[in-house]
Amino acid sequence: MQGVDRNNNVERERKQTGRRALLTAAGLIAAGGVPAAISALGGKPSGGSRKRAWWVKAVDRPTLGQKTGQFKRFSGDNIFVIYRQLKAQRDGAGSFEAEQAAKTKRLAGWMRDRKPGFRLPDHQLSEGAWTLMKSTEPGAGLLSWTRIAVNTPAELGVGRHTAPPEEMAKTVKAAARLYGAGLVGIAPMNEGYVNLRQEKKDIVFEDAEVPAVTDKKFVIPRTMKWVVSIAIPMDLDLLSRAPTSLGDAATGLGYSHSAFTVASLAEFIRGLGYQAIPSVNDTALSVPFAVEAGIGELSRLNKLVTPEFGPAVRLCKVFTDLPMAYDKPVDFGLVEFCRKCKKCAESCPSGALSFDDEPSFKTRGPWNNPGHKAWFEDSYLCFQHWQQVDNGCGICLASCPYTKAAQAWIHDVVKATASVAPAADGLFRIMDNALGYGRQHDPEQWWTRDPPSGARG
Amino acid sequence: MPSDTDTLTITIRKRPWWFWVLAGLWVLLEVLFLQTALASAREGEYRAAAISWIAVGVLAAAGVLVGFLQGRSNTPAR
Repeated sequence: MQGVDRNNNVERERKQTGRRALLTAAGLIAAGGVPAAISALGGKPSGGSRKRAWWVKAVDRPTLGQKTGQFKRFSGDNIFVIYRQLKAQRDGAGSFEAEQAAKTKRLAGWMRDRKPGFRLPDHQLSEGAWTLMKSTEPGAGLLSWTRIAVNTPAELGVGRHTAPPEEMAKTVKAAARLYGAGLVGIAPMNEGYVNLRQEKKDIVFEDAEVPAVTDKKFVIPRTMKWVVSIAIPMDLDLLSRAPTSLGDAATGLGYSHSAFTVASLAEFIRGLGYQAIPSVNDTALSVPFAVEAGIGELSRLNKLVTPEFGPAVRLCKVFTDLPMAYDKPVDFGLVEFCRKCKKCAESCPSGALSFDDEPSFKTRGPWNNPGHKAWFEDSYLCFQHWQQVDNGCGICLASCPYTKAAQAWIHDVVKATASVAPAADGLFRIMDNALGYGRQHDPEQWWTRDPPSGARG
Repeated sequence: MPSDTDTLTITIRKRPWWFWVLAGLWVLLEVLFLQTALASAREGEYRAAAISWIAVGVLAAAGVLVGFLQGRSNTPAR
């Protein structure tokens, strides 16, 4: 009897062990393999409609950035101008100029000493990358609010292009991708996101047929109800060398690609018989439009983080009267991840980013637009740190766990799991550090990489 | 050389179903870590690549060890 009982126990134990093994295996596979497999299946570009990974869910309202009645159009004051004024107020008249002179002297010393990341070739690589962006100004040249060279349909002897809004959106998105967009979405025009002024002129909405730039104002026609929001991926090989001139080259290249992309897309839209206004950082806030177009979510950085490229993108947009289907905001678990992670805030050398557990409505200076919920940053501290390096910093962008080159499958596994199981967020943050992500890569090694990757997109 | 009167016994033991589940999981994780090791090196993330190579090695050794022990436990005692 005893032997039979024992055999039964062994049999039962084997069955239980088998069930446990199955559950464990199923759990691990669900946590790892399946998301990877499904992620691998999704996200393939296909003409105008790019299918995103299954864990990027469309939602009716943005996950962060809720507005109050206090929300108004932003002054449009540039952080460069604000910093200069604040610097004079805090450290006395002439302090800004003295800081700039010290920076110039320091940079020259680093170039002479061949300091890695700040040598003359490093600095000039950055300058070259900025070329296109530095040669633009709102409403003129590449960013002209009227056509530059394209023939209109009337000139070609045909009517303007018409199609259902969904098809039109696909057409425009396909063109945007061709011109360099990594991500593209369509949002409704919101006058509240358009700056009050730029270049010492008012930006106004009028019942005009075409956009106009006069001596006194920039005129946006009220018929422009669509915004094509675009994210240009930054070069991670360069960005991972931040804060150096090489890191700044990633920023410059992103901006220059942005200028090219919106200029080309605006000409394409004009060529279809519609009006278009290209914009990079000028004219309007890029982030809220990008959030509403489903490009990404607002993050602890108080910047956009995309599922695919993290915060390592430059945003730009085109306003148009071409009717298109709107996209929806997305939720991929970012806000919950940001609550726990705080890696960007810890990495920031100037202490400019918020450590608060929860986002709030409390702004930190005139560079923030009040009336919306966010993790607000201290741009003064951020910009002050810029003066200690070359043109910019970028450490926060490089350190974000969502900033990953899209080569290793494990990144998709982690992002997918974070979106469905926020309980694992803390573990992923620890793993990100343990695996060495977010550390500065050797600046000198960039020149030996064969070949330099160029822009990612 | 066995004589005509000797008896040879060949025991074929069916492995339990969960063994194949674990084996599948082992292969999946090996592929995942191997891909991560190779891709991380391409990304310039050398620490991640090194740790992934260690994971590949440890997992491979564990697989070989388990396979060996499983084989031994399946060998009937003489």
